[in-house]
Amino acid sequence: MAYLTQPDYVKYVCSCGQLKPITNLYFCRHCLQIRCAFCICHEVDSHYCANCLENMPSSEARLKKNRCSSCFDCPSCFHTLSTRATLAQPRQSTEQGSGDTKVENKQPKKMYYLSCFNCRWTSRDVGIPDQPVASGGWPERANPYATRVNQLLDYYKAIAQQEKQEKLDRERKKFAIRGKYITLTDKTGLTGAMARNIAGLPSSESSSSAIASFTPSQASEEVEELPEEFYTKELNLNQITSMPQRLASPEWQPTHVSRLHPIAKLLSVKRSQRCRVCDHNLTKPEYNPGSIKFKIELLAFYHVPEVKIISYEPIKPGCTSALLLKLTNPTGHEMQIRLMQPEDIPEPEERVDEPKSIEKSLEKSLNLEKDTSWYETVKRKPILLTECRITIPDVTLTLAQRDDAAEYDDDATHDANDIILWRKSNKLALRLQVVTSGEAQAGAAAGAVLALQYRYRNAVPPAAQPPRDHTLHAALRLHLGPVCG
Amino acid sequence: MALYEGIALIQEKQAVVLDLGTDYTKFGFTGEAAPRCIIRSEYWCPSTRKYKRVYDYTTPEELYDNLVHMLHLLYFRHVLVNPKERKVVIVESLLTPTLFRETLAKVLFIHYEVSGVMWVDSGRASALTLGAPVVLVVSLGARDAEITAVVHGCPVIQAIQSQPLGARAIHDELARILDEDNGTELHLSEDVLEDIKVRACFVPSREKAVEWLERGVASEVREVRGAGGAREGGGARVPVSRRARALAAEPLFARDNELASLPDIVLQCILQCPIDARRALAENVLVVGGGAALPGLKARLAHELRHLVTLPPYRERLGQLQFKFHSAPAHDNSVAWLGGALCGAACGAGGGAGAAGGGAWAGEAARGLARDAYARAPRLRDWPSLLHNTPPHHPHWALQ
Ligand SMILES: [Zn+2]
Ligand SMILES: [Zn+2]
Ligand SMILES: [Zn+2]
Ligand SMILES: [Zn+2]
Repeated sequence: MAYLTQPDYVKYVCSCGQLKPITNLYFCRHCLQIRCAFCICHEVDSHYCANCLENMPSSEARLKKNRCSSCFDCPSCFHTLSTRATLAQPRQSTEQGSGDTKVENKQPKKMYYLSCFNCRWTSRDVGIPDQPVASGGWPERANPYATRVNQLLDYYKAIAQQEKQEKLDRERKKFAIRGKYITLTDKTGLTGAMARNIAGLPSSESSSSAIASFTPSQASEEVEELPEEFYTKELNLNQITSMPQRLASPEWQPTHVSRLHPIAKLLSVKRSQRCRVCDHNLTKPEYNPGSIKFKIELLAFYHVPEVKIISYEPIKPGCTSALLLKLTNPTGHEMQIRLMQPEDIPEPEERVDEPKSIEKSLEKSLNLEKDTSWYETVKRKPILLTECRITIPDVTLTLAQRDDAAEYDDDATHDANDIILWRKSNKLALRLQVVTSGEAQAGAAAGAVLALQYRYRNAVPPAAQPPRDHTLHAALRLHLGPVCG
Repeated sequence: MALYEGIALIQEKQAVVLDLGTDYTKFGFTGEAAPRCIIRSEYWCPSTRKYKRVYDYTTPEELYDNLVHMLHLLYFRHVLVNPKERKVVIVESLLTPTLFRETLAKVLFIHYEVSGVMWVDSGRASALTLGAPVVLVVSLGARDAEITAVVHGCPVIQAIQSQPLGARAIHDELARILDEDNGTELHLSEDVLEDIKVRACFVPSREKAVEWLERGVASEVREVRGAGGAREGGGARVPVSRRARALAAEPLFARDNELASLPDIVLQCILQCPIDARRALAENVLVVGGGAALPGLKARLAHELRHLVTLPPYRERLGQLQFKFHSAPAHDNSVAWLGGALCGAACGAGGGAGAAGGGAWAGEAARGLARDAYARAPRLRDWPSLLHNTPPHHPHWALQ
């Protein structure tokens, strides 16, 4: 919970150099590296509606423009609309003064309309007739400009086709027309073709009908003058839509609230995530929209030792303060941890111990170009310079594997050790010393860096090898509040 | 010179069209009549717990991060497609800084691994929505007003005009008037100002504006208690005076010795165009951009142009010009986007051969760039670069 509500006091350094809390990080089991949302590849896995939790196949989603056909959002406040039922009774017609219900129909008929529980907007407000079925059937609106845009599309497609033909012809003849305005900046030759066409320059014989029948837009001297009402009429702001209300339906952009229409709910996507270096999946969600589980879930939280700050003495310039940390081993195997300074992390060497198949190395060389350019662009140098320096004790700490049953066991063992404060199943508390330099400015944010070297057992190794241990490193930055004066 | 190979946009999948504006981003698919989403060009930054604007950056790395986050939002929250599978059409101003263009290209090609990108300049894109040969595009953006003359599908580069007369200029004036009329410094946020502008402000006719600037706004214009910003939940109820309602857009038309008002730069753009295109340009004005949606603005610009052209120095140099106006088949804020969508769709139609024929289609989509070409030489074509604007028969090439 603390990770959701509190600022991130402990940030890990991702393999790409970004600093993120452990809950935002992934751990690639194949590369044995920490990854983050910035340096992995996201993919759309499945489309679903977050309101009715219906899955929609991607092809259908594309057809429906990524909108759910049965759920709607309020065009006024963007809350989800509810479908409400009323009985349209013949008798009511006199009372309500609406004569649209038929008197012959004795049976009361159930009719439905959409209503917002948040702002009280209803589909009746804007004159949308009630519907006889509970879901769907709501009138669909066409884009007011659709016809003209389709004309333009046909026209330009025909021109592009013609242009292509001409280019092919011309390449053979080595014949070029360079008009006065056709400069090198004209790169969408589409318009060049259009120009030639309009100027009546020779074009290919096969002028299609789309080109012949097209009429360019006609300019007019008349510009729509400002309606008189702006000068004289009382302005009711509640009748004029706000920018978010207009932009919520980009095709119509209503300026008046009487033109607001229910907005079909935008679908959501489940994403799967992939390591860019090895192309393996880091997460893959379950298909069922109601499920929040994953088929693959390689989160750093389950693989990398977690560090939490228990407490610390106020950081003062030139002083030494005590810092209490809690270390947790999230894995199902015993883990040895050594603390070190981040600058002492050895440079990663090429892992040569893995037998490489020919295909693998071929694949690697093909990917090499992509990988290097990608890393050059994305890699950041994390800022790990701090005024505070943690005094690193030269000990190897052993943490037991995670044992869910031991959670209920509450006696912690207190080691008679000046570094380890207590131990409890897979957790232990450490007491460290932080030395703050005399130059630290009072009021500035105090930070300290720490690196962990840990033995990690890869329980599911690639290519059916026996489980094996690896020595891995993680650097992290602790935020220790402001420097006290 | 196989630096720029023609790329074929869309074989079976529609490409996406991106118009990354200062305030609002328009994003959607080629061949469609409207963008799928128009959202603010900003994203939620969890570490600072604030919205971060894409255009707020001090280092190239910060811009890179901003663009990565913005595109993530667009791809996975709004348009819901895999970036890798789609080519991208970028609608941009010809005056976009090189750093921005190159960083955006880097993010798309390297971070999102899109297979091809095509650039369309916003002036030409807007003209494409009309199908007319000669168009004078007046684009009112968030920050700048840009005037581009598009003559037979080609922007007249030397005549491009740009002045900081966009939505910001109106917001600043609105804030000034509101502070003055309420007697305090209100410190209204950009959101609140935009909301007041959109719901309460209008642009009066030239005749009325001249009168009101001198003698105060006529009393029949009603005052309102302005709404708050969308994000503030309507909290601030600012009284909006009639002066704030009617005269907030006046800085666009205020003339000074610099000749930098909106009608001035429109006429200057015409003046700097070839003489045989001037009459046609004046008869084919298209006003686009989110700023153009302010009620009365287009009519007022027409009044001002017709008046100004009778004054020196324009009277002598331009003579009699008739001004005629187009209306594009899209809302003002998505006209340039629509042009990009049309362009992408049309080029896609001839795409198959473009890819196969290689150079044959180079003219068609030389502003397009395929991913492998980018990998070989990560340089974008740009009009100020000598590398790209030296004619092919220039002796320089012979020395190579
Ligand atoms: Zn990362
Ligand atoms: Zn639904
Ligand atoms: Zn509502
Ligand atoms: Zn990996």
